[in-house]
Amino acid sequence: MNELQLIPLLPFIILAMASVVTILLIAFRLSHTVIQVTGFLMMCLVVFATWYVRDTLPEEVPPLFIVDGQAALFTGVIIFCVLVIGLFSYIYFEEREENPKEYYILLFLATLGAAILTISQHFISLFIGLELLSVSLYALIAYLRNRNNAVEAGMKYLVLAALSSAFLLFGMALIYMEAGSMKFSGIAEKLPQVSSSPLFLMGLGTIVVAIGFKLALVPFHLWAADVYQGSPTPVTAFIATISKIGTFAVLLRFAQTIHLQQYPLIIAIFSVIAISSMIVGNILALRQQNLKRLLAYSSIAHFGYLLVAFLPGNEAGTEAAAFYLIAYSITLLSAFGVITLLSSREHEAETLDIYTGLIWRRPVVATILAISLFSLAGIPLTAGFLAKFFVLSAGVQQAVWLPLAVLILTSVIGLYYYLRVINTLFGTSGTADVMQKTVHPFFHVSTYITLVVLAGMLFWIGVFPGLVLQGIRLFLLLH
Amino acid sequence: MGMSLQQIVFGVLSIISIISALGVILSKNPVTSVLCLIVTFFTIAGHYIMLNAQFLAVVHIIVYAGAIMVLFLFVIMLMNLNAEIEPQKRSWLKYAGAISGGALLLVLLAALREASVSSLQPGAVEIGLISNLGKTLFSTYVLPFEVSSILFLSAMVGAVVIGKKEGHES
Repeated sequence: MNELQLIPLLPFIILAMASVVTILLIAFRLSHTVIQVTGFLMMCLVVFATWYVRDTLPEEVPPLFIVDGQAALFTGVIIFCVLVIGLFSYIYFEEREENPKEYYILLFLATLGAAILTISQHFISLFIGLELLSVSLYALIAYLRNRNNAVEAGMKYLVLAALSSAFLLFGMALIYMEAGSMKFSGIAEKLPQVSSSPLFLMGLGTIVVAIGFKLALVPFHLWAADVYQGSPTPVTAFIATISKIGTFAVLLRFAQTIHLQQYPLIIAIFSVIAISSMIVGNILALRQQNLKRLLAYSSIAHFGYLLVAFLPGNEAGTEAAAFYLIAYSITLLSAFGVITLLSSREHEAETLDIYTGLIWRRPVVATILAISLFSLAGIPLTAGFLAKFFVLSAGVQQAVWLPLAVLILTSVIGLYYYLRVINTLFGTSGTADVMQKTVHPFFHVSTYITLVVLAGMLFWIGVFPGLVLQGIRLFLLLH
Repeated sequence: MGMSLQQIVFGVLSIISIISALGVILSKNPVTSVLCLIVTFFTIAGHYIMLNAQFLAVVHIIVYAGAIMVLFLFVIMLMNLNAEIEPQKRSWLKYAGAISGGALLLVLLAALREASVSSLQPGAVEIGLISNLGKTLFSTYVLPFEVSSILFLSAMVGAVVIGKKEGHES
């Protein structure tokens, strides 16, 4: 490799530098605010760097990385999410922990892991990226050790993620044994000879287990609710958005390169996973009284929907998936932002009782939560509706009827529990809410503004999707 | 039938490693488990040497049998595990584990029976030597090498965060 190939990697290098800069700032004992602002500026720098290198795309950095439009698109979404999550983290951690600074190192490292996944075209970079993401997440989930559920959630994630990594490595070894290459394109070349070999299929199967775990698809979803509930709310938002975007991006690239969707067996496996995720996720969410657990089950169902866009394996499917991920991330970020804002020092705002009659007490926050729930349910005029619509139209083109039918049916079931929460928001409550003194008015105001902007974006994308779609197409053409 | 020396060594190593691996999961006493695990690591290192990957074998022994196993033994001895304080597992959990593990074993065996493994290319035997490994690692694979150093950084920061003293010293 030469130095010219380093240029497209500039955003990733800056991302790695951000964590080192944070370590240095901590070493010099600077305050939480300084670290927060510096981190924010570094992330803005990453965005500028992505903008700066866009003319050099697509560029392959052999043997492991390829920086093309699709990678830039998903990295962009990831960086956007981490900007928002970083902002939410300030008010959340400032209230809880004396020393919330190391949090940012881990946050940036985990983001780097997800970003590496989007540009990897080789099993080795896939594995390193995934491990970087998981190892940082172990510590992030258990960050507030003194809270009762945090360590339990961290342990659960650690054990299950390690197990799924073992599956991933075993699958990679089997595929390498058959295809003699760990590069996606190298596997694709060998594919005509090995595609019916049992060891190759076995390898693919075990890799699906690992990916299914990361995306919390049924039947690998058992960790989701406990981990969502036990981790600090900004970290939950991180797991629900960035971690899953990265994993999905690498799954998409793998499938595109080796044309996974040609094989009826693979299609059948993914259809079963998609259908069971949609059904199980929605049914388990029906009677949840805990908002974080409810969002966990709803995210299981949502990744089932997303797999329906993945099944056809055509251009429209990729576009629909990218649009879906953007809409879904904005929606979830605003929902988790509301939870962060309402959480107090003593307890998370996770039980539904807290939300009873919220609209009369804090109308703006309640409206934002309602909008994001509408978007999750897929009500027209919100981004979630159009996202589902594009998934449906991509599926109709390739006639994957059964998953489509299940998608529509389970969406109707899903409507029930989203509307139940909204109903709670409008209920009458006797508890007078004591307005807490806000210690950090600036950050509270900026969190508020961010939430309003996010909710506005949900409407804007839901009504005028043209600009976003155009952007997605422009990026996807760069390959 | 004629068996070459290599085949005999391979067979012996494999049998020992399978038996000791079974010992790890079947033994009631945690210390015996750990000792079985050490034997397993050594036999696997033997397999690496037979594949002409000396560096990997040495690293495997130093890291796993050396550092990690000592850590394991320390933890087990410090925790003072014995049968009385061990949490009782429910019996259906055992059956569920056995059934799902058995199903996986069955599928793997079926896949292996069907498989035909091509023989190793003659050019590939030199790759495990330390100089070749170093050259590859620092030329072609320098980027993932750097990324994996970041991975260690994240593990280190995570361990420090989790293991930090309770209370606030700042």
